[in-house]
Amino acid sequence: MSARRVGAITRRLLQQFRRDRRTLALLFVAPVVILSLLGYMIRGASSTPDVGIANEDEGPFGGAIASALHSSDKIKAKDVNAADGDAKLKDGSLVAYIVFPPDFTSRVRQGTIAPEVHLEGSQPGNGATVLQALQQALTSLAAGPGSAVRFEPQVHYLYGGPNFDTLDYFGAAFIGLIVFFLVFVITIVAFLRERSQGTLERLMASPLRRGEIVVGYMLGFTLLALVQSAEVLVFSLAVLRVHNEGNVLLIFAIEALMAIGAVNLGIFLSMFARTEFQAVQFIPLVVVPQFLLSGILFPVSSEPQALQLLSNVLPLTYAVNGLRDVMIKGADLNSTALQIDAGVVAGFCILLIVAGVATLRRRIA
Amino acid sequence: MHMNEAFAVDVDNVRKSFGSLHALDGVTIRVREGEIYGLLGPNGSGKTTLIRVIVGLVIADAGTVTVLGRKIPDLAVLSQVGYMTQQAALYPDLSVEENVDFFATISGAESNVGEALQLVNLDERRKSVVATLSGGMRQRCSLACALVHRPRLLVLDEPTVGIDPQLRVQFWEHFRQMAAAGTTILVSSHVMDEAERCQRLGLIQYGQLLAEGSPNEIRQQAGSANLEEAFLRLAGRPQQ
Repeated sequence: MSARRVGAITRRLLQQFRRDRRTLALLFVAPVVILSLLGYMIRGASSTPDVGIANEDEGPFGGAIASALHSSDKIKAKDVNAADGDAKLKDGSLVAYIVFPPDFTSRVRQGTIAPEVHLEGSQPGNGATVLQALQQALTSLAAGPGSAVRFEPQVHYLYGGPNFDTLDYFGAAFIGLIVFFLVFVITIVAFLRERSQGTLERLMASPLRRGEIVVGYMLGFTLLALVQSAEVLVFSLAVLRVHNEGNVLLIFAIEALMAIGAVNLGIFLSMFARTEFQAVQFIPLVVVPQFLLSGILFPVSSEPQALQLLSNVLPLTYAVNGLRDVMIKGADLNSTALQIDAGVVAGFCILLIVAGVATLRRRIA
Repeated sequence: MHMNEAFAVDVDNVRKSFGSLHALDGVTIRVREGEIYGLLGPNGSGKTTLIRVIVGLVIADAGTVTVLGRKIPDLAVLSQVGYMTQQAALYPDLSVEENVDFFATISGAESNVGEALQLVNLDERRKSVVATLSGGMRQRCSLACALVHRPRLLVLDEPTVGIDPQLRVQFWEHFRQMAAAGTTILVSSHVMDEAERCQRLGLIQYGQLLAEGSPNEIRQQAGSANLEEAFLRLAGRPQQ
């Protein structure tokens, strides 16, 4: 392995990208567009959520607020039994339910308005809407017994917490997904171009070793991917203000691992495509299943048993898990779960490098 | 072994099949050091496969290939071999100079870039991006990439396909000069006036060597006045 020759490949790749503005745009503009869209979709939602109301109040106030809630245009209120509430949150038919306990009226008379608010929590935008609607409904009441009342709703979360919103949950995973996806697509196409323009044949008829080609490619694209990762991270944390409990460098390190994995997956899979068009066909085959099964959208534990087996062999599952552990739970390198996640992703990288080198000759002939 | 030393390329009874297709069916050719050896044959005759076997891109099923005294496959000997195809295999996003410099660096010949560009008359276009060049200029750039490391053996697979007659004459002038300076050149073609410029020719069809010798010897062997007729006459023989 000669550093000069590996360096020649890396330098040439970067020179090429300097002139390939469209690919550069894909690398550095697309992540911002995707993240902005996602942020807007999740935080800018303007739906009226379904909210259950369980009025157990022995006095009149519970009923009064309940009827005010029924006429609210912010939520769709319907009466439920408090006992059924959690089940309905879990099956998704309600995003929240409000309980007026038996002593609600008597406590209001003592100066405390204390309804119980149960939020599903994973779509935090809805939680804010519910609390807003409740507060509006209370204003009719507040005029009654005097201004000395305190509003103290008892808020319970099924998932998440008070300061946690959906983008915080998805954002952690998307940071990794965006880098993985874009780096994969660009690598596989670039490597195929090398083949279709005949330069790969020329490289193979030169003293270059296969490993030098693969490592040179890996370094070049990883360098680009690291810049992209840093951009995505800064944009997510500084502009979108995605919740982060963990060490930024650790997030960056996981992203870098994913980028290296994506580069090598691209090189490896490019062996199985003859044209750039065929390479693009790998996206629904390789990227979409990982997107669906890696736990980004639905927790792996909620999948059917057979799919869980599949999820557990996909590298993205571990990367997403690791990113969430760091960003949501604030895990550090002492965490065994994170060690396993990072180890599995690193293992995949090595496996793909070896596979890429091994299959390089086969596709030349 | 002593006999081999005189030959830059020694292909001995090489066979290569792709599925049921016998691309090379027991070919033996020997290219002497410092000569221009022309490989002639119609499309699909096995010329390209033979060339790819010689530069190590294809591994023969049977037989031996020796290049510059080293048995192929051999990575080290490739630093003394230049290879060029009819497709100008270049990076279109890079400039002429960047392309040549890249291939030079691979072979540790960075200092030769300027000389190679002068040789193919691309010196004043060194900063041009390859995608903006004409086909002929690309082919010249491709040649510069193939010879920038001053190879002892230059293997050219139909290097003049698709380029104008003027440039073709220029290319052959380069080849002649390089051969005079000691470089061995193995070139495939199906253009007869190019065949005249070779010291020796090998006629290939159906993956076999039909005839080998100087242009004069080939003409005599076929009993024809010109090479084109000789070629057609020899190639027209039914497959054995």
